[in-house]
Amino acid sequence: MSPLLSILTSVLFWVTAMCLVAGVAIVGPRRLYGIGENLVPHLRESRREVAALLVVLAVSGVGRPALQSVSEVFGLRLTGAILALEGGFVAWLQGTFQSPRLTLYFSSIYVFGYAFLLVFPFLAYAALPKPTTLKRLIVAYTLNYAIGLVLYTVVLAYGPRNVMPDLVTSLLYTFNPNFQTLTGEVNVETNVFPSLHTSLSVTVAAFAALTREEYPAWTPIAWWLAGSVVVSTMYLGIHWLTDVVFGTALALGCVYAAYRYVDPTEEDAEPDEREAGPDEGDGGSEPGGGGSDSASSTV
Amino acid sequence: MTGPISRREALAGIGLAVGSAGCVGRARNIAGRDGSSQLVLEIRTTPADEDPNGIRIARALAENLSAVGVDARVETMNGTDLHRTVLLNHDFDVFVGQYTEVLPFDPDALYGLVYSGFAAEAGWQNPFGFTNLETDEHLEAQRIADGSDRDDAVAELLTDVCEKQPFTVVAFPDALAATRADRFVGWETGPPVSATGLFRMEYVDAEDDEDPVTLRLVTTDGRISENWNPIAAEYRRYGTFMSLLYDRLTVVDDGTVVPWLARSWEWHDPETLEIELRSSTWHDGEPLTADDVAFTYGFLRDTSMGNAETPVPASQFRGRGSIVESTTVVDDSTVRLRIGETGAEVTKRALQVPILPQHVWSDRAETATVGGFEFDLETTEALVIPNEEPVGSGPMRFVEATPGERVVFERNPDHFLARAGSADGDDGNSGGSTAEDEGWGSIPDAYRGKPSFDRLEVAVVGSDVEAVQWVADGHADGTVSNLGPDSVPRIGRESGVRLVSTRSAAFYYVGYNARRAPLSNPRFRGIVASLVDKATLVDDAFAGYAQPAGNPLAASPEWVPEDLRWDDERGEDPVYPFHGTDGSVDVEATRESLRDIGYRFDESDRLLAREQ
Repeated sequence: MSPLLSILTSVLFWVTAMCLVAGVAIVGPRRLYGIGENLVPHLRESRREVAALLVVLAVSGVGRPALQSVSEVFGLRLTGAILALEGGFVAWLQGTFQSPRLTLYFSSIYVFGYAFLLVFPFLAYAALPKPTTLKRLIVAYTLNYAIGLVLYTVVLAYGPRNVMPDLVTSLLYTFNPNFQTLTGEVNVETNVFPSLHTSLSVTVAAFAALTREEYPAWTPIAWWLAGSVVVSTMYLGIHWLTDVVFGTALALGCVYAAYRYVDPTEEDAEPDEREAGPDEGDGGSEPGGGGSDSASSTV
Repeated sequence: MTGPISRREALAGIGLAVGSAGCVGRARNIAGRDGSSQLVLEIRTTPADEDPNGIRIARALAENLSAVGVDARVETMNGTDLHRTVLLNHDFDVFVGQYTEVLPFDPDALYGLVYSGFAAEAGWQNPFGFTNLETDEHLEAQRIADGSDRDDAVAELLTDVCEKQPFTVVAFPDALAATRADRFVGWETGPPVSATGLFRMEYVDAEDDEDPVTLRLVTTDGRISENWNPIAAEYRRYGTFMSLLYDRLTVVDDGTVVPWLARSWEWHDPETLEIELRSSTWHDGEPLTADDVAFTYGFLRDTSMGNAETPVPASQFRGRGSIVESTTVVDDSTVRLRIGETGAEVTKRALQVPILPQHVWSDRAETATVGGFEFDLETTEALVIPNEEPVGSGPMRFVEATPGERVVFERNPDHFLARAGSADGDDGNSGGSTAEDEGWGSIPDAYRGKPSFDRLEVAVVGSDVEAVQWVADGHADGTVSNLGPDSVPRIGRESGVRLVSTRSAAFYYVGYNARRAPLSNPRFRGIVASLVDKATLVDDAFAGYAQPAGNPLAASPEWVPEDLRWDDERGEDPVYPFHGTDGSVDVEATRESLRDIGYRFDESDRLLAREQ
């Protein structure tokens, strides 16, 4: 089996297993059962948002080599500037806390925990009777990826493990070199600013906080996982503190935008108005959809 | 005066000063002077994933420069990007790189590196912009001389170059490879990173009759999966795989010249060499003739073939190509190279350029365009084309590639190595009178019937650690990119993987842009050189797998005069010993040396330089 296939298989296995356990424990068997009947109408309701997300993912997947070339010739080289800005924070973090157990923990979090963190909300919010939260999540993901893609192209920077190997060990890849086969498929090494691991995790955490009444048990778990992912990006030597700060800001901005554009009146909506909600939502989501479209067409 | 007045304050004062007539001239004299600020030096190199050693050298140097008061910054960029900005655009202060030849090379290599006539050209020829009349004289002298005269001339040249430090040699790394011995042996007979090393590999796995036999290598350098242009400097590292695709007239094996595409040669007159070619065909079936050889030498000098206002030379092989002044085609298999006064030893180097097919490359002489627009008159299509579907005459030919992932080559059954059959002579092709006619005897036994694999697959991975893991997991037979301190110990922990270490001539160096002040000052470069702690770097950056060195010919010590050899006892460079002890720099002594040669520091001990 090729190295990529074997690592993909194990990620798929663990994410599925975690989703099943979390699905039963957090969403509950009754609501989980509801996904079956909710999913199709929810997705039909969010077809525009889903299409936008797919477009951004496709641009990211297909256009990456071209964007990378643009970045190499015209991009801002910020590696030196970031290092000058924050100095040896990541080196300090790793030097102070490094231990085999933490490396095992953070490596697993970075690969398996992160994948689970991204996938599970789809399941959880698809189980809700209304499509609004799912739609918002998709819009937020789309914005994260689209803005991330633009910034990746504009900024050319390498992470700490590539720049200061004397002080920062590439812990993830020395722990399991095959992980690099996986991450190499998903991204290139010059795309560190901002940290999309951070921004997507914080996005999920923010949604978990905003929907705590639906899934009270999910909130602390999501926060713990997201916090761990954020720390892991630096502990493993992959991202700078600067990437993480900007990633967090990006996440909060995207969540705000998603709530602003998808059913902004939802919170106060009366039960009988809920029927009209989706229509309003479609109208409200126009700017959001347009925003992500223009973001992807500028790159 | 109570203290220095900054330029800005002086400018602001002009308005007041003009009021009193006598002060006008004085104010202008002050404000008209450029001020000084802290010297900023950017050190460019590749990231750790691509090359684990270079970045460590750059970091250590930056740290020492900063300690002394220079604002030193490290900027990482991939190999293509580094070569583009440094070699082609000359847009750099300092860079850390590795020389391009793995096997010991002739001292004439320095001609390509530092001859002043190449300073304005784009490519590997004099990337430092170093210009010195005295050095030029030494370069010319060693070209003409032979025998012991040449030994002396080379010694003088080396002494001169070591003193003036157009670049600082740091260390000669061992060519390390993680290898498996279950399918192929012979890793240690030649570095697997060299073409001749690959020819010496033997297939051993007799258990399952594999057909075709595939040698699987793994590298961190993705450029071989994107570009196959043998003269494009941005995409070439050692040119190993290009040497498999493109034959040269001769190759060097263990210091001796082996007739390759040239079956034999003799002196036509003291200034002209007559070359007899082997019968050979290009990968597309066209015959290889003397016209192709003549074309190649002209093309390396001017890839525009006279179409551009000024010649546009190739960005590789410029130094050795310049040895040949002109060519004359005698017949299809005979060509005369006029080499002027050049001595016999240097002439051999002129025969080591890749021979290009005229019918493919003559169409690439026009000015390069993007979407029909001419961007830069100094570039031809030949220098920017990725050369997809490369047509060479070498023992391997291109099959397919996925950029950033892998590239596949296959054995060329029509190549003379294959036709020469195995050394035992049990191959039907090699018997009889043809052996006499085709001159197989001139090919060393070790190469006949080689390579011993039908396919060569090179996979591209993210880092040296991942490359080692691929070999450990059996996805590859060996690594062909540099291994660093994180990956070497891993080899020992994995069963079935062996560390193979061979000497390499591809030294690491710090290159200076002599076009920019203060790096144009040889005294300043000398002090920067003394901030490179070679002995400590060998221990830290190379995990001990390197030899510190002070001159570029340390891999062929017969050329190096006694007083330039690395002083093993004291463990320091003979010309510019490290300014410090046990890895830490002596800041005060270094500042004193800088003051001695005319540099100044401000009150916060920052080294001052003129604002550029």
